[in-house]
Amino acid sequence: MSATPPAVDAATATMISLIGSLADNKGALGRRYGEWAVSAPTIESAVAAAAMAQDELGHARSTYPVLAKLGVEREDDGLDAGLPMPAIARELPDWASFIAANLVVDGILTTFVATARDSSIEPLAQRARKILQEEGAHRVHAEAWLRRIGRTGGGDVQLLRRRTEEMWSQAARWPGPDDDPGYREAIERRMVSDGPAAIRDRVRRWLEGRLEAEGFTVALDEPVDWSSWDPERRQ
Amino acid sequence: MSREHETVWEVFARKAYEEPLHHVGTVTEDDEDLALLSARAIYDEQPWIHMILVPRTAIREAIRA
Repeated sequence: MSATPPAVDAATATMISLIGSLADNKGALGRRYGEWAVSAPTIESAVAAAAMAQDELGHARSTYPVLAKLGVEREDDGLDAGLPMPAIARELPDWASFIAANLVVDGILTTFVATARDSSIEPLAQRARKILQEEGAHRVHAEAWLRRIGRTGGGDVQLLRRRTEEMWSQAARWPGPDDDPGYREAIERRMVSDGPAAIRDRVRRWLEGRLEAEGFTVALDEPVDWSSWDPERRQ
Repeated sequence: MSREHETVWEVFARKAYEEPLHHVGTVTEDDEDLALLSARAIYDEQPWIHMILVPRTAIREAIRA
């Protein structure tokens, strides 16, 4: 549980939401990756899943303390807490979901982290640089499995397409609406370098390029309806 | 999932540049990037400073007693 300080400006409130949710989602992603460390399709993939789980849980653990620097009092509820995206809040149903989460959820979160590499919130910038070093291997894993499934073809490709679209429908909303005043102020104050639409666009272009290289397409639409947007859940 | 046609990579590593490369094991992966990733994840129990992978098919026998 965390308590936002009573009087913070819009930019700080947005950063508190983003950083807290980043840690929540990394914790959930770590648990989901870890569950496949005993049931991945190959021993090599199982070991890679365990290593990626370890990375994500470490990122969650190191990100939560940044909230304290922004004046947020947070009780340590362990890693099974917070408000992650529904798609990764529970066990992933199949390996295609694992790869889709690796591509899309990890992709969106890491692209956000890249916008904080030179953040004026120094503890965030420090952690961002460390996270980005480790996330390079996650991207290699996602791209390699996309190639492998692309070569296999048939039902595996159809399932991965569906899972990727499902993950995108939630992960693409995570950065929030592009006209969020708090986010714009955070950019002006150099807390982050780019806004929600730029993050989505970067991930979309990367994903579309990779998917097209394997001969298939996935609908990666820009979210338009923000009427039910909840900045705490970031959904 | 049958893996009999996948590439087997022999993994070599060393802890200091003055040491020779030691054979530490194998990984089975068709994809080169996944093979590199797997080798780093599987054989991480030592503080290696150098690790290389060689596809088993590239090895030539000079002596076979």
